[in-house]
Amino acid sequence: LSASFPQSVEPLLSPTRLTRTSLVVPVRTKRRHFIPPAVSAKHLTPDEHKLKARAAGIVVPYEPPERPINLACTAGIFDPYVPPEGDARLSSLSKEGLKQRAEKLKQSAASQLAIPKVKEYDPDFSTKTFPEKAQEIFIEAHNCLTNFNKQKLHSLVTERCYPEMVRGNRYNTIRWSFVESLEPPRVVQIRCPTMVNKGNLYAQVTVRMHTRQTLAIYDRFGRLMYGGEQVPKDVLEYVVFERHLVNPYGSWRVHGKIVPAWAPPQDPIIKTVMVPGPVLDPSQEFDEIQYEIPKPKQTQWYK
Amino acid sequence: MAAQAVTGAGAAWARNLLSWARPERLLASCSISLLSNIQTRTYQQNVGRWEKKNRIVYPPQLPGEPRRPAEIFHCRRDIKYSKDKMWYLAKLIKGMSIDQALAQLEFNDKKGAKVIKEVLLEAQEMAVRNHNVEFKSNLHIADSFSGKGHYLKRIRYHGRGMFGIMEKVRCHYFVKLVEGPPPPPEAPQTGFDQAKEYVQQLRNRTIIHTL
Repeated sequence: LSASFPQSVEPLLSPTRLTRTSLVVPVRTKRRHFIPPAVSAKHLTPDEHKLKARAAGIVVPYEPPERPINLACTAGIFDPYVPPEGDARLSSLSKEGLKQRAEKLKQSAASQLAIPKVKEYDPDFSTKTFPEKAQEIFIEAHNCLTNFNKQKLHSLVTERCYPEMVRGNRYNTIRWSFVESLEPPRVVQIRCPTMVNKGNLYAQVTVRMHTRQTLAIYDRFGRLMYGGEQVPKDVLEYVVFERHLVNPYGSWRVHGKIVPAWAPPQDPIIKTVMVPGPVLDPSQEFDEIQYEIPKPKQTQWYK
Repeated sequence: MAAQAVTGAGAAWARNLLSWARPERLLASCSISLLSNIQTRTYQQNVGRWEKKNRIVYPPQLPGEPRRPAEIFHCRRDIKYSKDKMWYLAKLIKGMSIDQALAQLEFNDKKGAKVIKEVLLEAQEMAVRNHNVEFKSNLHIADSFSGKGHYLKRIRYHGRGMFGIMEKVRCHYFVKLVEGPPPPPEAPQTGFDQAKEYVQQLRNRTIIHTL
């Protein structure tokens, strides 16, 4: 993260002051009180420059052109959580549903190992109380997004997540509201990755939230672009929260979301979009009936 | 730091050295930049008023309101062409749909036609990508005009040692695209309409200051 300049290229002095000798020549001229440096300049090689500077004892402080970069968040989600298939599909009364509900953190060993590491830096951390706080942060962040409160949003959302939330929305109006939470949120995974140095610990906690929300996005002219204001939707999300543990002023912030591969496709946007067609030879004709629009493969991705 | 290292003769000489031994000045001669001199701010040119019109955001419309048509403002600055010659082309395409305008400009022989065509294509692309316009052909040109750009002055040499000041002209071109079909052209006023107006004027006459 810091590039250092080669040591050989050092600042040099003009040698005029160093080589000025007081020559007393008996000539009837006006005594010059100030002789400009350029008059008696001698051209020396860089090595001779260095020697003269060292002889005169003039030292210029060496400032390597480094810029300190503060890493307040990690670049991605380390070891992303793979949600089990059909997580919220089964009703909690059936046997499979109960089994799923009984899936606790204890399954994942790495998460269990990470908990004491987190408690070392944040003694108030607990898997029982954290999900509620996390949900509050989540709701507050989305409210700031609707109100364009960028200052507060930066404190609730990491630097990696901020552009993803805000991109393309500069001239759009977003109306979002949180209706209710269908299931109590719970922690599903904890990881403690390190960045750059070994001691630089971050904690990433994935929280599973099953909630009902309404979303409506209006474009620059006030026309509805996506969603509906009176249409609440059930949403199952795996939100990752992060905190820079080593920093005493760090706080839990939204870092990203994990979208599982089996997630139902999102609603289409209201307007029609042109998709680039196949590349044809001049002799070929485009067969509209036979051609199928390619759909993207459903994989897990996190954003 | 320099004070510690000076071992030369004379405290006054050392103080003189200190006064001008500023690292920035020294390094400037050797073309190496200090950390403190690195400028990370980029200065933008002045954004014109026409470009700023693309930044206004309207409040969301209520469900009962008629759909507001999208308006896209685009311009190109300092085109090497005369504003008076550009005006003819701007007046030609004003009021046309964008497809018709592009067709007319493609087969026009003037130099400005090529430039305006590029500008229209850029604006169309911007509309679809950034301003939530659904169909790229569903745009018409509501407003198109040219303005004076920055002129340069040069000398034009005449005979007999006479000279004239030549102006290298440049112009700006502004266009406003609005979503929707182009408005129907105004029907020319017929004699019958004129007669109706005349009769109406006669009927509107009243006598003032009476009972």
